[in-house]
Amino acid sequence: MSDSDPHSLLPQGRAVAFEDIEETLQSAAGEAERRRAGTGTLVLAGSAERLVEAAAAVDELKDIGVRTVLISYGDNPEPTVRVSAYAVALEGLRPEYLNNAVAALRLSSLPTLVWWRGGTTSTLEGLATLADRLVLDAPDPTDAWAHVAALADKTAVSDLRWARLTRWRALMAHFFDLPDVLAAASRLRSLHVEGSDRYTAKLFAGWIASSLRWPRGQSYDFRERPGGAPIEAVALGDGSQELTLRLASARGCVETAARVCGADLASRTVSVGDQGLAALIGEELRIRARDLAFERAVAASKGMR
Amino acid sequence: MPANPLQDGLRLEPTPGPTTLVIFGATGDLTRRKLLPALYNLSRGQRLPARFSVIGVAREDQGDERFREAFHKSLEEFAGVKGTDPVADSLAARLYFTGGDFNDPAIYQRVASKLEEIDAAGVLFYLAIPPGAYKTVIQQLGATGLAKGKSEAQWRRVIVEKPFGTDLASAQELNRLVHEHFSEEQVFRIDHYLGKETVQNLLVFRFGNGMFEPIWNRRYIDHVQITAAETVGVERRAAYYEGAGALRDMVQNHLMQLLALVAMEPPITFSAENVRDRKLDALLAAQPLVDDSEGTPNVVRAQYGSGWVAGHEVPAYRAEPGVSPTSTTETYVALRMQLDSWRWAGVPFYLRTGKRLPKRTTEIAIQLRRPPLEIFKRVTPTPVAPNLLIVNVQPNEGISVRFEAKLPATRMQLAPVMMNFRYGTAFGRPVPEAYETLLLDAMLGDPTLFARHDFVEASWSMITPVHEKWSREPLTDAPFYEAGEWGPPEADALIAHDNRRWRTL
Repeated sequence: MSDSDPHSLLPQGRAVAFEDIEETLQSAAGEAERRRAGTGTLVLAGSAERLVEAAAAVDELKDIGVRTVLISYGDNPEPTVRVSAYAVALEGLRPEYLNNAVAALRLSSLPTLVWWRGGTTSTLEGLATLADRLVLDAPDPTDAWAHVAALADKTAVSDLRWARLTRWRALMAHFFDLPDVLAAASRLRSLHVEGSDRYTAKLFAGWIASSLRWPRGQSYDFRERPGGAPIEAVALGDGSQELTLRLASARGCVETAARVCGADLASRTVSVGDQGLAALIGEELRIRARDLAFERAVAASKGMR
Repeated sequence: MPANPLQDGLRLEPTPGPTTLVIFGATGDLTRRKLLPALYNLSRGQRLPARFSVIGVAREDQGDERFREAFHKSLEEFAGVKGTDPVADSLAARLYFTGGDFNDPAIYQRVASKLEEIDAAGVLFYLAIPPGAYKTVIQQLGATGLAKGKSEAQWRRVIVEKPFGTDLASAQELNRLVHEHFSEEQVFRIDHYLGKETVQNLLVFRFGNGMFEPIWNRRYIDHVQITAAETVGVERRAAYYEGAGALRDMVQNHLMQLLALVAMEPPITFSAENVRDRKLDALLAAQPLVDDSEGTPNVVRAQYGSGWVAGHEVPAYRAEPGVSPTSTTETYVALRMQLDSWRWAGVPFYLRTGKRLPKRTTEIAIQLRRPPLEIFKRVTPTPVAPNLLIVNVQPNEGISVRFEAKLPATRMQLAPVMMNFRYGTAFGRPVPEAYETLLLDAMLGDPTLFARHDFVEASWSMITPVHEKWSREPLTDAPFYEAGEWGPPEADALIAHDNRRWRTL
């Protein structure tokens, strides 16, 4: 595998013809690969620019028995093909052939996860019929989220922003294990979110709204912090209670506090886990079931600004 | 109380409600090596509740600050935590300590006051203390009212470490004492083997797949070998081990649990009671180990002599610090067991465990019967190896299958190949320590992976007659095996008598 191309999505891969992909994968797999149990196929689809960062992330997943297929959009019915021991890159494929490529390259009898990094939403329906799980990850997800209900009839759908919220949601939920907080749940109607990504904030707000059965149209307060983490702080409360989660100055940690009438009920510093792309998509790879909480959150976020 | 409205659809595993863990034996080895690192890892993984505290209790009075220092030191030594760690600092702030004599009721009053002061809800008592102190602590917990909560949220549970008794009578006595103060639902008898992923996976492997259970019986399985081999010697446990030996230390608990998981019938549901009922059934089907008729014994014991293990010369057991120079305590034991059940009639289960063996490994090897017809006998000079299904419990948790394949570029030569599944690599996430799993289960009130009172007693009722026989026939000179070898020749003879041999490890 020596004909490296630093400009490729798979720089260490070897340029081959499409029909030679399987054979090349077999011969490239080392002893360690042969001993490893296969666990599924991960397909990344998006523009070349959107895939560069993601390709670096999936490189970290090469040890978990996943076959990775990177497909960047272009205008070429016969795209450039490069193959490494664990991955295939098709560069410049016309979007209308996306389904055909996925159908040909997925591992048989094992789950296929499609990580959709944006593009025309017309490809989503076809992908949903092929994928066991479709993870949306568009810079502006508005159009894609409008299709979630229809896509969910065909496959399990999620959004990488939802994976980013996993730890935040769990921390907020832990507060509701405290009897005082649980008793006040129906009164908690004021939500403030800070971060660099308004869509992540909106998804969190949708989750709170659907879980606490807020009336439709209830809004929340978002403060954009450009250049920061997608989500940096959350505060949920009413006049007398406040549940707060805030990124700590220490990297990877969140300070949590539940205050009732000024009294501290439970405050602590906890890890927010690895929020890198590899960890987030790794989390998605472990989930198989339909995510109704996500679907409800998307639905409830409609109309929220 | 209504359910938590934000719980639905959370991707993380369930988290217990507000909990305080009270560790008796808070300055001991188990706390330092296992419990404190496990709590830290649970906290990092967001598995601890928003309101969580630890009260350490020990004979020496060292105060909150020294307990917190010991916590940080333990994390540095056993959890690889270097430098400042905000998660550790946050957890440390919720660690408290109280010291004194376990016989003194005042210590329990101080625990009760602390629980009230921190507004504790659920309380989990962990008896990480020598078995000799169980009785005192359990009685005092009962007498001071600490064993009973005032509401559902104020649950009270107790984790009891092994060994749970030293024979059938003492186990029954301990169960009786525990049940005077705690109901069975409150009692969690820990066996850390059950917290290992592979052991839990055995249930999934058997009952979550359609392909294995149909062959999981006497028609297809020739025999089962369960091995728990250690390279270490008695180390600093001579005081305990001299009175225990391998049969009490390993077989009565760990190996009997593994045997039950292999041999049990399918539970109707995956509920704690169903699973534990079926495990008990499996154990109750076992034939007695002591057979008074003449014939090959079902149990072989031995003790390690000096030798060479893992690149070092090591002393004989009798030369270890704290061990009697005339000790006859067994450091190795091999057993042959038969289960009188429809599924297992005629299928022997061979169990072996020992210290100072060549490798550290625990595994269950299920050897299938050979094909009914040896059709390759005329074309291949080597005999066909029987299929093996191996469950690796430690290290390298996973499952392997051995089967025959045709050697390429030969007319029809066969060779065995191994197909391996490894937890460490297959899912790309670290395998949790057994104590993390078990602590969390106890906080959640799930007893599936804990030993029930009747299982413990059934296990002792298997083992105690062996000890009684041994006490009638004391060894003046135990059979020896050289440290670094796979046990004594008598163990080989035990299995060779059935025309089988121990698996090469």
